[in-house]
Amino acid sequence: MIIDVNTYIGHWPFRQLRYNTAESLVRRMDKHHIDQAIVASIHGILYKNVHDSNEELAFRTKPHLERLIPFSTLNPTYPGWEEDLRRCAEVLELRGIRLYPQYHGYRLTDSASVELIEAVTQLGWTIQVPMRIVDRRQRHRWDLAEDLKPGDFEVVFNRFPSTSWIVLNGLGFDGKRLNSDANFLIEISRMTSVLQRNIPALIQTAGAQHLAFGSGMPFKVPEPALLKLECLDTSEAIKRRIAWRNVAEMLKLKASDGKKA
Amino acid sequence: MVKIDCHMHVNGRHHQWGWSGNDCIIEAADKLGIDQLCVSIPTVRGMPTIDEVRENNDDVITMMKRYPERILGYCYICPGHRESIDEISRCLDAGMIGIKLYNQYKIWDPVVYSVIEKAIEEQVPILEHAGYPTTPEDWVDQPNMSHAGDFVRIARLYPQAMLIEAHIGGGGDWEWAIKQLRAVPSVYLDTSGSVIDEGLVEVAARELGVNRLLFGTDMTMEGGVGKVLAANLTESEKEQIFWRNMKGILDRRA
Repeated sequence: MIIDVNTYIGHWPFRQLRYNTAESLVRRMDKHHIDQAIVASIHGILYKNVHDSNEELAFRTKPHLERLIPFSTLNPTYPGWEEDLRRCAEVLELRGIRLYPQYHGYRLTDSASVELIEAVTQLGWTIQVPMRIVDRRQRHRWDLAEDLKPGDFEVVFNRFPSTSWIVLNGLGFDGKRLNSDANFLIEISRMTSVLQRNIPALIQTAGAQHLAFGSGMPFKVPEPALLKLECLDTSEAIKRRIAWRNVAEMLKLKASDGKKA
Repeated sequence: MVKIDCHMHVNGRHHQWGWSGNDCIIEAADKLGIDQLCVSIPTVRGMPTIDEVRENNDDVITMMKRYPERILGYCYICPGHRESIDEISRCLDAGMIGIKLYNQYKIWDPVVYSVIEKAIEEQVPILEHAGYPTTPEDWVDQPNMSHAGDFVRIARLYPQAMLIEAHIGGGGDWEWAIKQLRAVPSVYLDTSGSVIDEGLVEVAARELGVNRLLFGTDMTMEGGVGKVLAANLTESEKEQIFWRNMKGILDRRA
């Protein structure tokens, strides 16, 4: 059983992507025995009115809801996000939210963001935040977003410990600095199981209950993340936690691989 | 499937890369099925003294002796030293398989010519650190880093040299680099680096041919193996990238 917490569908204006439709994502998941995936819109990141992308996402993923868990995109600095959030939950039946403070020009601790975080927490939804979308060194000249830093998350984990957080493309975290009582997961696609061994280090310092599998498809190929799971020198129970169980518990999914976790 | 990592490093007295003990490298290689690793210890910022260069190479030789079947060494050179050619001879006599250049000089700088001519004479490859970051700040501390256009320039002057442009996934616009390298069939490209973008290996294979691609990790071990495994290529083509092409390079001197 594998649940991928980091996938997208849609277009990125600065590079051609393949396997970027709901159908092709599901085919890729089949190939790699990935059972479910949290998915959000790529191009919605760059819409001014991001909510249009939520309607598109709901339409595209509707035939695949057994496999795909659609997450909305909202911008708390744009008017009407409160009503858009309501529609995402009640009309479009999306299941969580992915935020992009680096693309929408705010900090997670800004007042507008805090209001959104509180509203999402009330809904019982999970908030995903990517530390980055693409490697800064190869960005297009118009893509000026800076990577978020571990310290940005340390602050919000402390301030909103009951909110469900998933950090995507996470790297550089010191588990000792993270609030162990907070409800967060850090996705592993930029970390390593061997050599630098920052996944084992985070297991030791933060706990395996704070890690989740993610691939980054279709920006990235999934094989490296799968190899990280395979090469991780730990118990099968911990691998299952990272592969699916932690996120299944966070999202209250009825997921099971039939093995004792 | 056999795998020869054409671009890897080991810790030395002057440079620690962020893991504890060089035995970790072999442990990681065992887990990922990497049979041999071609390693070096370059000085990554500033101009090293010739003593530092020699000590870096001595530390590589120590690892070659410790793991004689697994670790192959590149001789790191800062071409401006008058002792460079002698240092290359010393390292090749000690069993090294190639030359490593970093960012001290553009690869087309005339100061590098004698090193390239030595490599041609000895039938060994030159692996040179490279990149084309689109972010100006990434050029500030390594203004002489070579990019694919620099390889085009020198490959036209020395088409018989076995030049390897390092880490297409190591930072920068990899599509730009691949398009540049179409112009010079003699330059190899290594697949290493932390960028594991969908399509990276296939685009390189399509535009340059699989016979010009060399598998490497540059310390991104799972990513390095995973991106080649992920490529929509035949098993035979993957074998070329994973080891046959590098073996062909090594066999020229053997």
